[in-house]
Amino acid sequence: MTLKKGSFIIEELENVQINIGKVGAKEEEIPEGPTPRPEIIGLRNWDNCIIDRYNPVYTPTADTCDYCTYGKCDLTGNKEGACGIDLEGQSARQALLISIMGSACHSAHGRHLLNYLIKKYGEDFPIDVGPSNLKAPLTETIMGITPKTIGDFIPVLEYVEEQLTQLIAATNTGQEGSSRDFESKALHAGMLDLLGMEVADIIQISCLGFPKSDEKAPLAEIGMGILDPKKPVVICVGHNIAAPAYILDFMDKNGQFDKIEIAGLCCTAHDMTRYNKTAKIIGSMSKELKYIRSGIPDVLVTDEQCVRADILKEAQKLHIPVIATNEKIMYGLPDRTNDSVDAIIEDLVSGKQQGVLLLDFEKVGELVPKLAMKMGPIRKAKGLTALPDDKEFKLLVAKCTKCLQCTKDCPQSLPISDAMAAAVNGDLSLFEILHDKCVGCGRCDYSCPSGIPVLNVIEKASQRVIREEKGKMRIGRGQIGDPEIREEGRNLVLGTTPGVLAFVGCGNYPDGTKDVYDIVEEMIQRSYIIISSGCSAMDIGMFKDKDGKTLYERYPGRFVKGNLLNTGSCVSNAHIAATTIKVASIFAGRKTKGNWEEIADYVLNRVGAVGIAWGAYSQKAFAIGTGCNRLGIPVVVGPHGTKYRRAFIGKPYKKENWNVLDGRDGSVVNVEPAPEHLMITAETKNEVMPLLAKLCFRPSDNSLGRAIKLTHYIELSEKYMKKLPDDWHIYVRSEADLPVAKREPLMKLLEEKGWKIDWEKKKIIEGPLRKVDVSFQPTNVSRLCKEAKK
Amino acid sequence: MTPKASGKQEEKIIDTTRQAVPFNTGNIPGPKMARAVMPAISGKMLAKAKRPILIVGSEIDDPDVLERVVALGKAGIQIASVGDSYKYLGDKGLDAHYVNMHALASYLCDPEWPGLDGKGGYDLVVFFGITYYYASQAISALKNFSRMKVISIDKYYHPNADMSFGNLRKDVFIEALDEVIEQLPNKNSR
Ligand code: SF4
Ligand code: SF4
Repeated sequence: MTLKKGSFIIEELENVQINIGKVGAKEEEIPEGPTPRPEIIGLRNWDNCIIDRYNPVYTPTADTCDYCTYGKCDLTGNKEGACGIDLEGQSARQALLISIMGSACHSAHGRHLLNYLIKKYGEDFPIDVGPSNLKAPLTETIMGITPKTIGDFIPVLEYVEEQLTQLIAATNTGQEGSSRDFESKALHAGMLDLLGMEVADIIQISCLGFPKSDEKAPLAEIGMGILDPKKPVVICVGHNIAAPAYILDFMDKNGQFDKIEIAGLCCTAHDMTRYNKTAKIIGSMSKELKYIRSGIPDVLVTDEQCVRADILKEAQKLHIPVIATNEKIMYGLPDRTNDSVDAIIEDLVSGKQQGVLLLDFEKVGELVPKLAMKMGPIRKAKGLTALPDDKEFKLLVAKCTKCLQCTKDCPQSLPISDAMAAAVNGDLSLFEILHDKCVGCGRCDYSCPSGIPVLNVIEKASQRVIREEKGKMRIGRGQIGDPEIREEGRNLVLGTTPGVLAFVGCGNYPDGTKDVYDIVEEMIQRSYIIISSGCSAMDIGMFKDKDGKTLYERYPGRFVKGNLLNTGSCVSNAHIAATTIKVASIFAGRKTKGNWEEIADYVLNRVGAVGIAWGAYSQKAFAIGTGCNRLGIPVVVGPHGTKYRRAFIGKPYKKENWNVLDGRDGSVVNVEPAPEHLMITAETKNEVMPLLAKLCFRPSDNSLGRAIKLTHYIELSEKYMKKLPDDWHIYVRSEADLPVAKREPLMKLLEEKGWKIDWEKKKIIEGPLRKVDVSFQPTNVSRLCKEAKK
Repeated sequence: MTPKASGKQEEKIIDTTRQAVPFNTGNIPGPKMARAVMPAISGKMLAKAKRPILIVGSEIDDPDVLERVVALGKAGIQIASVGDSYKYLGDKGLDAHYVNMHALASYLCDPEWPGLDGKGGYDLVVFFGITYYYASQAISALKNFSRMKVISIDKYYHPNADMSFGNLRKDVFIEALDEVIEQLPNKNSR
């Protein structure tokens, strides 16, 4: 008899159930580090090491707490509430809760996919992510195991789920009281988030034929102007590919790609193009309301995450049927999972039902294209749209009384009334500018006392630019392959590639999507490696240069300097963090399994990687950022990020905070503040560019690398802030660290600061904090020092 | 020169205490919200402070506003130039220093911070011209985790400050800034 995985009961022993796990000989998994499957306390020392240097900074949005019925308690001025928690503790508790929410979101996505893919392909389906031995870096580092099949991820997600439950428990009133320990827990939740994302993306890459570390993945069309509105249009909204995959398969099988337009909004769009390159992308969550109100979609399919709560309400107004395909978002719709496709279509076409919950993906796949073919002609004949016609538009803009209520309610405080006034005189240009800055939230509609549907007016006025909104995005490639790391790791650690900048997160930009394009263009021309994912990856592809080329068409997608990579959807963020683990492992030979602290210590001190979530809005983005922080990767968020309420900010003036150990002998070395912060915001794109360059400094930089990084830091500051940075000299350890082109004038400035210069030899004699030492092994973990090991 | 000549007693008195509701409608932090004040009060406090600091941000690009920033700087007030505002101030001969707003909020909560010039901490924070929600969030750190007095002389009502103007029209805002400047002993250095 061959035993298979699962449960069975032996006859006449009804009460005995035998569970068989993995069958067959399996090589022993030996963790190489001290913390496989870390519990809450497992990495607390590392967390404290981070927090001691990068102090949590709290910017509460509310000075009160109303989590339990003792309250509502006034905590203003860091007072204690009835339960004993003060505002610092409460703010840290919120940081933990936000991290948990984000982490749970990605992990539950992973769980949904894992259950579905195991059912479809079996537990033994092998992992295949491309040309890599280190296939699941986060899983190895956190769990201490090397997964080989998708079934190997079952205990991984079980671990995540168990830990998240423990963390949620700590947020109940009367549990944790220390802000430091809340933060350690938040960092734990962030790490779990990275793990959950890795599981989700590896299994979908392996099973669904997504590009596997493909630097030459094809380009996909993106933008609000790319679809032919005369054809029936299907729009899938959310993050989970399971249901849209069936729709794409059905359309493929029936040769419908030239008859029906199918595109995605938010990360589902990414994964649809990874699954089938014929699919198209409308854009980020900011485009959801705008696109629905255009009336172009004939069928809306929702799954999970970043799906607006009012989609059903908005769709109803325009007779667009909504097919909800995931239990996380059901909108109160009737469950028609067990009904026939034809019966459901009949009810939706007749308008008897505005939408349905349909959890059978086979049925979704068949129903959606058929429904689109029926709805398309009906809806188009009626010309359904929420946008006003030309006559209505004129009447609406004339109604504006300049009361500014819309501006006060607008999260971007946009000058809407100025655009209304200009439009009265036939000038639509101000509205066209607003269209890019507007995050499509619809708050202004609610606020206007004159009853102007403001968002619809903005969109109507912007039809010219919307028609032109046609970009290109390189389809998500998945991981960075081991061979690429081998080639580039050395440049990164020595600093000769100035840094890896990871553009992640959502579309809540402070000043429009163009900012991201501008920042990427500037930094890529300076040879930074740009990796992107999620909505940022989309927005990068939305603009063109004077030759009509997008950045993805101008720059190749390999992990080398001056390249632009898109890893994929939100869960593909895991690969960006994992890349730093690969550098530590493949380039530097660090052990990974169960060895988080050593890896994170390596990343913090030696890998010049920085995350930028310029438009982060969601709890998921905060969790990702917090997970990256635990891995030693600094993150910069746009100004809206202050509303996350917690940052990790370094204090360069506290010299004692910048001591590290030299791994060779355990001696203490006072180093420059590098990286200076772990999580911080910036107000504008001009401010963020030099900040990114600065955050790429690492104590391990060699002189050539430091000179390159310093060159960019100085040049970016001079270009965008019109000044030499105040702290540039802190990063100079010898004359060789100085940018070659500016060496002499900079040495003169150093002399003015009191440094001693030997002008004959053109050498710095006295002044720097420390000397360059190419063998220096900076570490914050004493057990990694040779002396300590003895 | 600012449009208002000093000592003109007959000029209409502006009221900066009206419309004292958070500029972003939902930005209601809790029971303690800024007292709405007239510019003379803010100006006097600024004049009395031993070591005040003025924080300005990316919204000082308007020439009328910039002119007042320069006037305040010339009256001897040190300027923390956040965001990308330094690009407007660097050539004006002021005691202006670039600093990140979020980091500054953190440093101002730390009694050991040696200040932007290494000469010690500050006893009064005054600010305007910063992206509204960004400033509001950053100063919530000062409100709750420092003893620092914080005065907004912005055109928006800032609930997290100790004192603030209400939401002002631009012309009233400029006039209010002039009245603040009017209180400073070294106002004529500009
Ligand atoms: S829809 Fe746009 S303009 Fe209206 S409140 Fe939201 S961001 Fe502002
Ligand atoms: S709320 Fe309405 S009336 Fe008031 S400024 Fe905005 S669009 Fe005009």
